[in-house]
Order: sequence, then structure tokens, then C-alpha cells
Amino acid sequence: MPVIVAAIDPVTRIEGHLKVDVTVDTVGGVQQVTDVKTVGTLFRGFEKILEGRDPRDAPLITSRICGVCPTSHSVAAVLALDQAGGVTPPAAGRVLRNLVHGACYLESHILHFYLLSLPDYIQGPGMPPWTPGFEMEHRVDKAAAGRFLANYLAAINIRRQCHEMGALFGGKLPHSPGYIAGGFTAVPAADKIAAFQSLLATIQNFINTSYVPDVEALSSLYSDYFLVGRGYGNLLSYGVFELNDAGSSKLFTRGRIIAGAGTAQAVDVAQITESVTHSWYSNAANNLNPASGDTVAQYPKPGGYSWLKAPRYGGVPYECGPLARMWVNGEYTNGVSVMDRIRARAYEARKLAAAMQTWLGQLAVGASTYTPFTTPSGAVSAMGLTEAPRGALGHWVSLSGGAIARYQVITPTCWTISPRDSADQLGPLEKALMGTPVNNVQHPVEVLRVIHSVDPCLDCATHVIKVSQPA
Amino acid sequence: MSIARRDFLKYCWLAAGVLSLSPAKFSLLREALANPAAPSVIWLHGSSCTGCSVSLLNRISDAAPFTIKETLTDAINLVYHATLMTPAGDAAVSELRKVYNSGNYVLVLEGGVPTAFGGGPCIVYSLHGQETTYQQAVQELAAKALALVCVGTCASFGGIPAAGSNPTGVVSVHALTGRTTINISGCPANPDWIIWAIVQLLTGTPVDLDADGRPTALYARNLAGTATPGLLHDKCPRNQTVNPAAPELATSFADCNGACLRNLGCRGPVTNARCNGGWNIKAADPAAAPVDRFQNNWCIGVNAPCHGCVEKDFPGGPFYL
Repeated sequence: MPVIVAAIDPVTRIEGHLKVDVTVDTVGGVQQVTDVKTVGTLFRGFEKILEGRDPRDAPLITSRICGVCPTSHSVAAVLALDQAGGVTPPAAGRVLRNLVHGACYLESHILHFYLLSLPDYIQGPGMPPWTPGFEMEHRVDKAAAGRFLANYLAAINIRRQCHEMGALFGGKLPHSPGYIAGGFTAVPAADKIAAFQSLLATIQNFINTSYVPDVEALSSLYSDYFLVGRGYGNLLSYGVFELNDAGSSKLFTRGRIIAGAGTAQAVDVAQITESVTHSWYSNAANNLNPASGDTVAQYPKPGGYSWLKAPRYGGVPYECGPLARMWVNGEYTNGVSVMDRIRARAYEARKLAAAMQTWLGQLAVGASTYTPFTTPSGAVSAMGLTEAPRGALGHWVSLSGGAIARYQVITPTCWTISPRDSADQLGPLEKALMGTPVNNVQHPVEVLRVIHSVDPCLDCATHVIKVSQPA
Repeated sequence: MSIARRDFLKYCWLAAGVLSLSPAKFSLLREALANPAAPSVIWLHGSSCTGCSVSLLNRISDAAPFTIKETLTDAINLVYHATLMTPAGDAAVSELRKVYNSGNYVLVLEGGVPTAFGGGPCIVYSLHGQETTYQQAVQELAAKALALVCVGTCASFGGIPAAGSNPTGVVSVHALTGRTTINISGCPANPDWIIWAIVQLLTGTPVDLDADGRPTALYARNLAGTATPGLLHDKCPRNQTVNPAAPELATSFADCNGACLRNLGCRGPVTNARCNGGWNIKAADPAAAPVDRFQNNWCIGVNAPCHGCVEKDFPGGPFYL
């Protein structure tokens, strides 16, 4: 008999709506997770909302898929539209896109570690919203705890400054209106470049002197978590931050790693399919590529347990995120685990902040940021592949008669937090959770540590779908 | 949403000019915050993107240094906010139920309410294995709440999830419950406006609402807080009537720097808002001349047309002409 079968709902300190059903039992003398289902509990149907709209609206509408990585959706949408319209933004337009996107990356990574993840390891203050806390072992001494808490509070301000920095060119965050097909609306001004530089220096200093050391301290206190939450070890990155106008060179390159070993393999987008066997969508459109995929909601449905579909590459589950990007780049290859994910995220923030300093130096005051874009009148299909802070993000669009005929999105959370597929393979987070030791079933903090390590963003996971009444 | 109580007061004081908060009102607020019987706040996420929560963090955290004993919870007892709270699952929901039973709470709602599929598109929490949809939770919790605050355009009017064919049957909180809601619309809602609404409720100040449930003090007045017009275009530094030095009307994004964007789709002429007060920055000095705010962070400030995100019909038709 399992010790406990329980739903953790809501899983808090994530973005969006997630429920995790876990079964805990004692196997080989160790009390551990023996079965798990990750359940996305929200969908909104963005495909229908976009259908028939002016294609130029896509960056603004898809931004609202997620208030935590809105800019990544705008980037994916403008990349798809640039391709559809056959335009290349001027260098300054590309750089402004990267700088605002980069600001949102730094915001997201700092928010993730301090506000969302750290409460799994250290005791917060004895008041809401930190109570009731978890009963857990105390490995952090008083001095270290004080430092973590002080930096937690500093992080609240630093992450806000990341958005302030991005808004200098982006206008407002979240949901910048700056991303347009053909480039960017803002034109670099001297005072804004200087203000950006000043904020970036502050943020970079926090990353280098607080964030990275705190992550290293935590990972040394919890070094056993280099062996927990390992999962399949399959890592996927589409690549992000274009370094040349053609987009052929990127700060983080495209590639995939198989079973946590070897060098990066090429990504063939045609190998991507989505399974809906265990998702609340009709099986009539199962295992299709997003360029031809169709999705019809069916709720409730026998065997279905999530609003997320299950993307697979060549039929195989992949996780994505900072660890995947850093590994594909050959810059972090220590392992795949809870602590490896947390460390790779911090090192990525450090690398990106340094790159942003370089990009800022490339901006010429008054430089053109926009190449005139005309919506194609014929039938055109295009694709925008980028990376949100938490992983691979793709937009697939078909235009007809100057309007959006169909739109498909596969978000990073769909990859990482997918349910089982038609071959009954566990989703990557499900796989990572299996076997996780649980000391106290009333306080399953170990389960939350694994979940938070992949930085779930269930708003992003909200799949774009077509809806019909349940069968 | 962590902020020292002293810093919260300091923030309100700094923002008082913009928010039309008088010194008398400010001392009332101080009293309200010191009262241990002050209402708790329950913040629920429905058909939303969490962007309004992120927006709130963008403003409220601009007050340092923090001390841990003076957190927000001295000022606002935030018992439930899924993005920020430590407890999860049954432990989190049990806290919510305790406060619900007391009836002493303000309900803040972020996100529209999906009503298709029996509310199934948004399951907001489970207790003892029993799932609750956002639709059920809003109906139940709204009935006993002291006040309802809708943060963002989705909760206020339906917003983007309700656009087009409205695939999940999203409705506003007011449409679902029939109760009066204080609508702080915007996509996202501006943190200044959210704080303003909380301050009014904590000080027991009646809020004058327009026909769409929005506080007239926030949406139908100019920056000095004195009178109409509230329309952005009528106070825009790119409008030559307001600022004779403004360039000619823009005709393309290639020549729009600093120019009026009306011909590119700008909805400033039909949008009631005070975005020209700035986003993601310290509260603008209301005494400053309009032209000084030209470089402030807001959509129009970076050559992007206003998309009318605070209005009831957002997102409406095409954004660009």
C-alpha cells in the first residue's frame, strides 16, 4: 500500500496553474515518489483569439499568453512575421529586441531563485505569505540564513530594476509594445542608453556578488540535490539572442543533448510532434507537427489529465531551459539535476549580463530600428523559434488574404511539464520526480524542490487550441 | 509583494500628489494599517497571465532598505497569493478557508472567468482532493467579501481571453457575480492604480466609479487630478495642440520618432488613462510640465501607438492602421 496519494494543488511559487498528483511509497527502505502526474489546469485558446486578426497584432496578443515571459512571445512572433514578410530589421532594431528581451531574462532568473525557489530551502519570516512553512531539516546556519534573506529582499528591488531597464526602450513591462514586424519602435537616444547602462551595472554587480555566490553556497549545502531530479537528461535548445542580422549566429546556439552526454546534435524541426493521448484534446489530431497540427478540446476525456499537450522530438521527451542552453553551448556540463538546473541558470544570467554590456556599446544614437514591413497578401507559412527564460519557444503561423489563418505555439513548459504521451512515456518533469525521496509526507518539500528547479510557467503552457463542445 | 510597512507608507506619501492623497487621508491610512483587525487580502488568479502581479511587484518594491520585521504583512495581510506564498496545496487552501469563514477580507481578482466546459478551463485549487474551478471560487468568495477589486482588463471586462470567438466563454467578475467591482483595468494594470484602490479600501474612503466600474479619480481626470479630460491624446506631448513644438504627424514607423502616432493606429484619442505619468519608474512629479515627461516610459514614449488596453472593448479590432 502506498503511504499517501495526494494532490499538491495549487503548486505555489510558480507562474500559472499547476497541480501535481503524487504517490509516495517505501521502496528498498526509502520512502519515495512512486507515481506522479503533472496537471496543467488552465487554458485560454489563443489560436481562436488570433484567427482572422491582422498578423501585425500577433506580437501584442501573444505577449499576453504569459506575463512572466511576455517578451519572449513577442520575439517569437516578430521572428515569424519577419520571415513571412521577407524583411530583415536593421542592426539597431535587432539589438534593441535583444536588450529588452535580455532585461526580461535577468528579471526572470533573479525572481526565480530568490522569490520562487529559495523558500524551499530556508525558513521565511513567521507571517503570511510565508506561513505555514514547511517542516524541513536545517542546514543553513544563522549567518547564512541572514545573508540569504537580505539578498531575497534586495532581489525584489533588483528584479524590478530589470524591468525598469527594459522599459527604457520597451515603453512598459510586462507587455512591451516595442516589438513590431520589421524591427522595433524605439530609436536609441543618448540619455536612455546612459540610463540603461547605469541600471545594467547595478544588476550585473548583484548577479556577480550576490546571486552567483548564493547559488554556489546553496548548492554546497544541498550537494545531495546534484543526485535528485535527474530525469531523462535529454536537453533541447532552439537558440536565442541573434548576434548578426541574418540571425545565423546566436549567443546561445541551437542543439540538443541526448541522455546528458556527448556533444550537441542538430535540431530538425520536422521531427517535432505533439501527442494528446493524455491531454484534454481529441485524439483525432495526435502526434502531428505544429505546422500541420490541429487541436480540439475535449473535456472531460477518458485517460486525459492535463491541458498541456506532450511535445516530443523524434518521439522522445526533452526538457529545456538554462541548463539545456548552457550545455548545448558547451559551457555547463556538470550534470542534470535540481542543483545543476539552479546553477546553470545563475551562470547564464552572468554570461548574458556581460553580453548585454557589449550590445549596448553597439547602439548608435538615432540609428534606424525599422525596415518597412508589408503584410503578404497571399498564402504564406512561417516560423519563429526562440528561447524564453525557461526554454524553447516556437510560434508557427499561416497567413492568408492578409490575415492570420492559423497559429500554433509550443511553449517551454509544454516540453518540460508535459503529461504522458501516446507511448505512455512520462513527461520530463514527471520522470525527474520519480524516485524523489520524501522524508515527511505531510511536508513534501523535496517534491517542490524538484518542481521549482525547472521553473514552471503554466501561463506559458496555456496551449493554443481550437475548441468544440465535449464529445 | 514584500515591502516594509514603513516603506509602504513612505511610498504612499511620495505618491500622494499623483494619487490625490491628502495628509488627513494619509494619517487615516496609518491608523488603518495599525489595526490588527484590518481585513486580510485574498488574491486569486483566473484566466490571466500573471502580468498584473508582476506589474504590482514592479512598483511596490521600489522602497529600500527593507527590514524583515516590517514586511508588507504588517500593512496588508496577504493570506493567499499563489505566486508568492510559501505553503502549497491543502496547507495553502486551508489558510484561505479560515479567512473565508471569518468574512473579514478583501478579494482581489486577476483574470477573467472561463464559464465554458463547466468552468473546467481554470481549476484554481483542490482541497482534500476536491477540485474547485475559478468560476466556483469567485462565486463563493465574492459573496462574503468586504469588497471586490478587479486587477487588470481580464477580470474587469474579459480582456484578451474573451476576445474573438471567446473560446472558453470568459466573462468579467461583475458579469458573473452581479456585484459591484472596483475595476483597475489595464494590460497590465499600473501598480500605482492598484495601490490607490487598496488605500481607499483600507481607509474606508468611498470610491466614485465611472459607468465601467473604474475609479473616476484614476481614469477620467488629468495628471494633476483636477478635472477632465481624461483622454490621453488631450494631454499627450506629441499632440501639437498640447505641445506646439511637436513634429508633424507620423506616417510610418520609419519616421515616427517623437511624432503623433494617430495615423498609425494610436488609440490615445479614445482612451481614458494617465499612462503619461510613466511606467516602471518612480511616480512622476505632477508639477512637471508635460514636455518634461516626453521621455518617460510609456507606450507612446517609445513610438508605439496606444492600444487602448484600459478600455472595455480591448483588444478590439486591428491595433495598427
